[in-house]
Amino acid sequence: MPGEALLFLFGTIMAAALLFMMVFFTIMFSDLECDYINPIDLCNKLNQFVLPEMLAHAFLNFAFFINGSWIAFAINAPLVAYNVQKITNNRHMYDATEIFRTLGQHKKECFIKLGFYLMAGTDIVVKEGRVRRTSNYVVVLHSFHR
Amino acid sequence: MSNIPPSQSPLSRPPPSSPNSRPIAPYGPHNPQTRPPMPGVSPSPPLPAGYRPPGFRPGNLQNPSGRPLSYPNQTAMGPNYQVMSANSTSPPPVENPESPSQRSQTPPSTSHKPKRLYPKEITEVYTESNAYGNQYQPFTPAVAPGGIGQQIQPPAIDQNAYQQSQFFTPAGDQNYQAAAPSMAPTQYSQQYPQQYPQQYTQHPSMNASMGGLTNQLNNMNLGGHSQAQLITVNLIGTLPNVADLDAPPPPINLPPNSSVTQSDKANCEPSYKRCTVNCVPTNASLLSKSRLPFGLIITPYRSLKEGDEPVPVITDTVIARCRRCRTYINPFVTFAEGGQKWRCNLCFLLNEVPSQFDWDIQTSQQANRWKRAELNHAVVEYVRPPQPPVYLFVIDVSFPAIQSGAVATAARTILESLDRIPNEENRTKIGVITVDTSLHFYSLNSNSSEPQMLVVSDLEDVFLPQPDDLLVNLTEARPVIESLLSRLGDMFKDTHTVGNALGSAMLAGFKLISPIGGKIIVLQSSLPNIGPGQLKAREDSKALGTPKESALLQSAEPFYKKFAVDCSRSQVSVDMFLLGSQYSDVATLSRSEDALKFAHEFAEFLASPIALEAVMRVRASKGLRMTSFYGNFFVRQTDLLALPSVSRDHSYAIEVSIEENIATPTVCFQTALLHTTCFGERRIRVLTLSLPVTNSITELYSSADQIAISTLLANKAVERSLSSKLEDARDALTNKMIDILGVYKSSITGSQGASPQLQISDNMKLLPLLALGLLKHVGLRASSQIPTDLRAYAMCLLTTMPSQLLIPYLHPRFYSLHNMPIDVGTYGPDGIIMPPPLNLSSEKLERHGAYLLEDGQNIFIWLGRQVVPQLCMDLLNVRSYEEVRSGKVTLLQLDNSFSQQVNAIIGKTRESRRGVYYPHLYIVKEDGGDPSLRLWFLSHIIEDRTDTVMSYQQWLGHLKDKINSGSF
Repeated sequence: MPGEALLFLFGTIMAAALLFMMVFFTIMFSDLECDYINPIDLCNKLNQFVLPEMLAHAFLNFAFFINGSWIAFAINAPLVAYNVQKITNNRHMYDATEIFRTLGQHKKECFIKLGFYLMAGTDIVVKEGRVRRTSNYVVVLHSFHR
Repeated sequence: MSNIPPSQSPLSRPPPSSPNSRPIAPYGPHNPQTRPPMPGVSPSPPLPAGYRPPGFRPGNLQNPSGRPLSYPNQTAMGPNYQVMSANSTSPPPVENPESPSQRSQTPPSTSHKPKRLYPKEITEVYTESNAYGNQYQPFTPAVAPGGIGQQIQPPAIDQNAYQQSQFFTPAGDQNYQAAAPSMAPTQYSQQYPQQYPQQYTQHPSMNASMGGLTNQLNNMNLGGHSQAQLITVNLIGTLPNVADLDAPPPPINLPPNSSVTQSDKANCEPSYKRCTVNCVPTNASLLSKSRLPFGLIITPYRSLKEGDEPVPVITDTVIARCRRCRTYINPFVTFAEGGQKWRCNLCFLLNEVPSQFDWDIQTSQQANRWKRAELNHAVVEYVRPPQPPVYLFVIDVSFPAIQSGAVATAARTILESLDRIPNEENRTKIGVITVDTSLHFYSLNSNSSEPQMLVVSDLEDVFLPQPDDLLVNLTEARPVIESLLSRLGDMFKDTHTVGNALGSAMLAGFKLISPIGGKIIVLQSSLPNIGPGQLKAREDSKALGTPKESALLQSAEPFYKKFAVDCSRSQVSVDMFLLGSQYSDVATLSRSEDALKFAHEFAEFLASPIALEAVMRVRASKGLRMTSFYGNFFVRQTDLLALPSVSRDHSYAIEVSIEENIATPTVCFQTALLHTTCFGERRIRVLTLSLPVTNSITELYSSADQIAISTLLANKAVERSLSSKLEDARDALTNKMIDILGVYKSSITGSQGASPQLQISDNMKLLPLLALGLLKHVGLRASSQIPTDLRAYAMCLLTTMPSQLLIPYLHPRFYSLHNMPIDVGTYGPDGIIMPPPLNLSSEKLERHGAYLLEDGQNIFIWLGRQVVPQLCMDLLNVRSYEEVRSGKVTLLQLDNSFSQQVNAIIGKTRESRRGVYYPHLYIVKEDGGDPSLRLWFLSHIIEDRTDTVMSYQQWLGHLKDKINSGSF
């Protein structure tokens, strides 16, 4: 039980980190639209974060899998699959020559991911609360038994 | 200190002596002596023996009076701000030779630990002219009881410098060590662990610590003295001294050695730029507390009165700027790593010092860096001449290239075109790199008559074998360039090297011309298969015609994209002439035609004027926005296209979206192309187009331009087929046509339901035909026969061609020759009279006929199998159809009217199209000739049904069915 609680705590932190990353991405994209940053710098900057973000998410999902948290795993698996598909097609990096043409897509994707992480984050928080409550309950039961 | 010889440059510090080895340890890696000299950059310029770098003054602590010391600062110490600005720590007015009290106050030997923690650049600052700092040491700062902390800072820093200086002093410092004043060690150990990039904040904190120190010193009656004393004046009761209105502003008391040179012009004169306060508050609360306004008064273009020194002009075009913040190098930067790098004083980024920085172009000798105007003057002007045309030829000299004769032809063409290359102002620069498995550079020194070949075989880490003479002025080095080009064809004639390192060659070329910008012209005959950017032969005939084909059309190697982005930043463009051998087996019967075509196109290309370092922006009336851009450029901002060079007759397509309702009766599109012409003028070409606004769909359709629509659709189709699949592109095109025709049917003709008619407005009646031409075009056609190279090339043409070239490329011109009117080929009022164009249908092909078809890229003459022998005789000088050889030919100029007519038509065709293309002429026989050539010809007959794609009538029927079954 404490292992699961720990995992969900970790999951919350991860989800929050990913959420912030997406917020950063969206801010950068709107900066690009307003000409505050040039496309080459933008792509160099964002591309540093692409793989870490995907890895962090995949790792989180892997932790859910190991732990047997099937619902959380099922929620996150499609995004992992999408990311893997992007990497295999070599589309995961932002390309300075194409960025303006694909900006709309990138922004949409960012917003969806933002929403997803937000949802996943709150979901994890809720679940975590439930886990904690159950573990308390179990402890209480134990004490009753004694 | 006294052991530094006067000829010692600040850049070449002597190695530290053993007594000092302990404090040096942390600086080991930065010791300039341990760095190997960079190629092209000499870390220690040999200076004349008597030379003293500015700011260097021999000082001697032990014996301050033992040597005639010159103190220019002292004389400049008055209220004269000009001198103040540079030497803000002028010695105090009271010359006080060595104060024993100071020595006694400073506990010895505790100074080592804090020293290690000094940020490096502080070290650098003070060691640049370490003797200078020492010089002040004898003068004990006089006491200024009312002094502000910051003003008393100089003496403290001098001690700093004095401490640092010993790291670089060969010997004789033992006394110093003992005498080194300890500077509140606790404070330092707190302040200095912060390494740069926090250096900026260190200065105030240092000042704070200095302030603390000062207070201590004040308590000990040892404080410093400053000129900018706070003198309180009683306003009431005294007459204002109006003469003081002309007085200079309070002096700017910079820490000593802030500027790398001790020039008195290092800081800006107030007449150019002055600040409301001459020292900046460390935080906003201090500023707001003071209630003083904080601002700059800038007069950049002030007049020069008599006696004023003119603004120094830097003419050698070496402009050192910070990579990150684009700040120009100035007297307040610091040099690091033995002078090979400089640290920006605004953002503290370490930048490379340009290799030409210490080089005098006029004398071609090492120059003294410390005399450069930008390091001595706060106000300078750089001459930035407009970018000259630069042509760097990267020529493939591997075995296939030599064997095909491409190198010889190219060299001959360049040689013959040297006079035609834009060179109005004799500024054009030329360089040649040849490449097989190694890179060959050519040193084209204008003083020597023979070019010198330099071979670099390191392909991974490309470097230039020598800094100059690789890219030379065309006019000056004309003889040696000619000598190289005339021999280039034979130079490699015995080579058997297979393999080409194009990537390395382009990187080298980029290194060579990126400081200026320009064109890299690649003449490539084989696949680049070694080095960076190597490619594999990946054409897979099984994938052709399948959805996998689009993968073959996409870039296989990210190197080239990255390289292109770098090029765009440095105003470099790359033009490629790909002379593939793979394709020449289609109809290569005679080499001379290929060579002629290549030579002609290459010569035209070289001769065409180019616009350099261009940016293009399209502005439009309120409510309109440019959304997507098609063509060859880099989109630098949402609506700014960067074009390192604008090729002639290149076209760009831009899609516009309507963001909000347009209330005005007309809208305007204005395109501005800012560019440098090849004769060195910066120009802006402005194209303004005004269009009326309508809310009627009828008017919209009646004003549609089918040519422009086809051009945009071609661009979009190519984009689509590269980003997704060829089939998607064709489907999108078909759907677009269905949409256009469907909307016309439902909204304009108003007919509902199924209809036997397919109607469109008169001005758009050829749009379906052009769309069919695009569908059947070699770039988009569904076929498993088209080699990938050919497809990719066609796609490049589709996205770059202007409409005048694109439309014949989509819908070739087709003429009948055997029955053309008599006046065809003669001069009429509009030039040569052309025969009436025919429809592209094989119905027109009569067995006894001769036809000409051209699409701007190729010209075909089709001979029917029962063509009259006289025609063969007249046209080709052969007796009968059987003797005619099909394939690539040069048409003979025969002495009969038919031959003259046909030659005139072909000549007109070759001339009239925009662009550098020189169409080949093929003779195609109805039977008995080359079958692939016949198929190729027939693929242009787009109104006919080909194996998979429908005929024009079927296409119209298909569109009609779709519209009738659709919701229109």
